[in-house]
Amino acid sequence: MKMIRAVLYREYLIRTTSLTWAFYDLFMPLTYMLLFGIGLDRAFASGVQSGGRIVGYNSFFLAGVLAMASFGIAINTAYGFFVDRENGMLSEFLTYPMTRGEFLVGKILFNSLLALVQALVTTGAGALLLGIPLRWDRAGFLVPGVVVGTAGWFFFLTTFALRIRRNDMFNTFINIAYFLLMFGSSMFYPLEGLPLWLRVFSSVNPLTWHADVLRYLTIGLGSADTILAESAAFMLFTFLSFLAAVRTLQRGIVK
Amino acid sequence: MSPTDAAIEVENLVKIYQAKSARPVRALDGLSFSVKRGEIFGLLGENGAGKTTLLRILATLLRPTSGRATLMGLDVEQRGYDVRKHICAVLQENAVEVFLSVEDNFATYARFHSIPRQEIRAVSDRVIGQFGLGEFRKQKVIDLSGGLKRRVQVAKVFMVDKPVVFLDEATTGMDPINKRGTLEAIREQARQGRTILLTTHMLEEAEELCDTIAIIDRGSVVAVGDPDRIKSLGSAVVEIHVTYESLDEGVLAELSRLPLLKLERRHSTLDLSVNSKLISPFAVLQKVGQVGDVLSFEVNSGSLEDAFIELLGKRKTGKGGAS
Repeated sequence: MKMIRAVLYREYLIRTTSLTWAFYDLFMPLTYMLLFGIGLDRAFASGVQSGGRIVGYNSFFLAGVLAMASFGIAINTAYGFFVDRENGMLSEFLTYPMTRGEFLVGKILFNSLLALVQALVTTGAGALLLGIPLRWDRAGFLVPGVVVGTAGWFFFLTTFALRIRRNDMFNTFINIAYFLLMFGSSMFYPLEGLPLWLRVFSSVNPLTWHADVLRYLTIGLGSADTILAESAAFMLFTFLSFLAAVRTLQRGIVK
Repeated sequence: MSPTDAAIEVENLVKIYQAKSARPVRALDGLSFSVKRGEIFGLLGENGAGKTTLLRILATLLRPTSGRATLMGLDVEQRGYDVRKHICAVLQENAVEVFLSVEDNFATYARFHSIPRQEIRAVSDRVIGQFGLGEFRKQKVIDLSGGLKRRVQVAKVFMVDKPVVFLDEATTGMDPINKRGTLEAIREQARQGRTILLTTHMLEEAEELCDTIAIIDRGSVVAVGDPDRIKSLGSAVVEIHVTYESLDEGVLAELSRLPLLKLERRHSTLDLSVNSKLISPFAVLQKVGQVGDVLSFEVNSGSLEDAFIELLGKRKTGKGGAS
């Protein structure tokens, strides 16, 4: 735990060196929801149909914004490897008396806490400003939902950030991954009305699993059985991504 | 050497980099040596000789292709985590938190090395003072010069008490005063029983500092021993230092036609190195004396640099090496 706390402390120091950064981290998802969400809420004034219910677009989109925020924080944290590599710190960290797993967990822990605060701000503002009907009885489960979600994506992206040596290549990879995963998921729209190929793709997309779980926890949409299966699948995805990331670090960093 | 005497043991270590677009590179080619506890061990070699690769393997950053290395009796490949508890390292590239202040750099390093929180301030103050960083302590590292950044990086390892210290060209980029201070700090660490494994291109520094030196070329050890022994391996090299009142300008052109290892002219002095098996030092002196007004001269056995050049030169021309 001592090493995880040390990484946490370092991430905290780095993150708090810029107030702009902190402001962006905390309020970006809310801004997204207030601009993009409200726009689409007006466009789909009659709401969207999902799981046999009709819900307002803002309510539907809330989970999408939370999932996107987790994904965004994971990208920023993974991108941090390039900054660390450029500063020589990545190699130095790996000579410190800690396991590769402790390093990764410490790195994402602070950022998961940030994602939690983001989720709190966004969800609270969504309920207060946009009248989103929240399932308060499930609010406690949002904590693991957001933390595991952020960690899962970070571990997944870590393997690529460490293997792709050029940050312009990593940017390209992220742009493609972001585009495919976001639009091939249930983040922005329900899957029911989509063509079969897109539904199949979306149903095996971990971003769909994450968004569906968050939607179930925030507005109660979805069946418990499906959500349970998607939660298990996402945890498996997180675990396998963690193993892959640790293995990549163990195989050695040339620079 | 018994296992308890050795801080580091390297046996037949091989590292091959598999490049996608080029031929595989054999960075280490059956490297073997051992380092006694409490000694300062210098690794010398040209760029690309394999020094940094070796250090990265010992620091658990890279896995060897074959062979074995142990540190304090622990296999670096199998017990990386335990090995890391025994080391601290200054790697070749600058490793500093550029967005943090100097003192935050020290604070984070201290936390990673389990210095109790109440002692961090005192330990940081000591090292900041020792390395002359007091006036920069609140400054962000990104605003410091390259030499100061390096000083921050090197100073960090002197905060902690680990049995083995790796220093990869640690004094590169430092001004002479800070370099001297760093060398003294390294000596002090060794006196306290820490084992120092360093690489450097500065042969005078290695000669001054190291108990044992290994010369590495193309991933294998060419020579290993104390500085005097290494120098004796290049015993054919003789250094000549001439001080003159005047010198005919044509003499340099004439001297440059001789098989000299070194020829440097500064104000009223000439420094030459010759391989005495190829040309007599006295023949060289005679030639200088014929065309100049020589005030004094000195003839000395070769330096570590001469031995280094001769040993590596032999290998390049295929005339074999030393063991």
